[in-house]
Amino acid sequence: MKKYAPFLALALALLIPVALRQKPSLVYYLNLSMIYAISAQGLNLLMGIGGQISLGHAAFMAIGGYTSAVLVTVLHVPFGIALLAGVALSCLFGLVIGFPALRLQGFYLAIATLALGNVVTDIIKRLSITGGDYGLRNIPAPSLFGFTFASSLSQFYLILAGLLLTILVTRNFIRSKSGMALQAMRDSETGALAVGINASHYKLLAFVLASAFAGLAGVLYAHSVSYLNTGNFGLDLSINLLAITIIGGMGTVWGVVLGSLLWVFVRNLMGTSLEMLTGVLFGVILLLVVLFLPRGLSEIGYRISGRLRSNRQRG
Amino acid sequence: MWTLVFRGLATGSIYSLTAMGIVLVLSTTNVMNFAQGDMGMFLAFIAFALLMRHVSYPIAIVAVVAVGLLLGALLERGLMAKVRKTTSHLGMLIVTLALTMILEGLAGYFFGTTPLLFPPALQGDPLHVFGAILDRQDLLSLAVAGVVVFILFLVLYRTKIGIASRSLAEDEYAAKLLGIPVRSIYIFIWATSFGLAGLAGVMVAPKLSLEPGFMIVIQLKAFIAAVLGGMNSVVGAVVGGLLLGVMENLVAYYVPQIKDSFSLILVVIVLLFLPEGLFGRRAARRA
Repeated sequence: MKKYAPFLALALALLIPVALRQKPSLVYYLNLSMIYAISAQGLNLLMGIGGQISLGHAAFMAIGGYTSAVLVTVLHVPFGIALLAGVALSCLFGLVIGFPALRLQGFYLAIATLALGNVVTDIIKRLSITGGDYGLRNIPAPSLFGFTFASSLSQFYLILAGLLLTILVTRNFIRSKSGMALQAMRDSETGALAVGINASHYKLLAFVLASAFAGLAGVLYAHSVSYLNTGNFGLDLSINLLAITIIGGMGTVWGVVLGSLLWVFVRNLMGTSLEMLTGVLFGVILLLVVLFLPRGLSEIGYRISGRLRSNRQRG
Repeated sequence: MWTLVFRGLATGSIYSLTAMGIVLVLSTTNVMNFAQGDMGMFLAFIAFALLMRHVSYPIAIVAVVAVGLLLGALLERGLMAKVRKTTSHLGMLIVTLALTMILEGLAGYFFGTTPLLFPPALQGDPLHVFGAILDRQDLLSLAVAGVVVFILFLVLYRTKIGIASRSLAEDEYAAKLLGIPVRSIYIFIWATSFGLAGLAGVMVAPKLSLEPGFMIVIQLKAFIAAVLGGMNSVVGAVVGGLLLGVMENLVAYYVPQIKDSFSLILVVIVLLFLPEGLFGRRAARRA
């Protein structure tokens, strides 16, 4: 049964938009959740596996999104190439920031990424090609191989493909040599160094991969929301992405999906008048999770399924 | 030129105040506190509410610092003491991030997100000294920072609790063996740090506009100042803050092209070539 569970989940996911045909706004929120899940999957890699923290994850989304949007609207580059360019530029920034910060111990990556987040939005605001303070409007819908993903229904499948790709990459990374090395290092830095693991090399790899995920999420965001503004990629989004990752559960690939769904839907259910209290609510949930559920909400799922399994064995 | 340097020092004094709070907490309690700036923001809002109720300026400042001391002590007693037992350094950092979400959310809910004008403590025309134009509010924040640094160093180097805190920062295990009351020192450090946050918030609020996110930039600059000065040195935090303020002003005037990216460039350069900072000692590797 356990072997088929992912396929069952996938089949269900494929059917969701068909069931929600009459409610395009719900599909739109699902799309947003998946975009944030793609981005948070990067943080999951970096934090859950690598034990490092980034406070500029939203900036990498902005880099990816703006690169692709400018390429498509101004230079009329096909979407597929713009997507790759957006992801590549995110990776490049990840490399430039990660190289000096990850050679050192402690929290230097958090500070460097905090600075990056601030600088990136400042620069985008000042440039004219990015629409400055007004932002970029009417970004065309994604199109690949002659097919345009115009409706949010069709975009659902594109974004789902992106999400599945990041989940697969994350799973394989966790089980790969680099992933094992990182987990060894997270659990005991001295121990890992003693068996000859090159600490900064693997951390940098995880950080560049995390930047790539954020870049991909940014590109998908730009072309499905079709509007970009630096105000949406500030420090608060970076912190919210961290909260999504931790609340959902670090170290598991499904936790971030759960966290993003919770975040997007609670936020939109609360409405704009109570938007500020959503921040308070998530802050409190984050505190409680850190205190009582170190592996996030997905731990509840594991505990229940664990209990079921032990019941079955007993009975 | 001198006007630029002076203005840089004035902004730098705010960075120093904030950076000192961050470094004090980091070196003694091992918590990277990302809520320092937002605590200053929250306390500035409280000061604003007091001033709007016609409380006089000095009383408002004293009240806000007192509230900061109290909140710092409460945070350590109520939350950090518990968190320390259950989670890692990363967990404690995340707790401070949760705190920023809560503080910004509460400030936005009670005071709204439209920027407010915070009245300056000193009004009137700027002073002219040796051809430099000195703004009165700038002079005040420099003076306040000077007095605070003086008092803080007296406390850290001349009183029992200050020396005990420094020994705790030096070697936690040995300090515990010597019977230093770790719990009260943690409370003292958090209270001092949030008192500093309140002062920084009230001093800088008239120069910026008061809104829930207004201290984020200051907090970022304070971190850079701390990295520049050496993450575990209080002297480094003071010098780093002033230096950053001056450099930033000179760069903005003479090389405006890199004004926006200056902070990032500086961080990358310092991390590459001077990772211990100006005054820091190389941190010993610990398992």
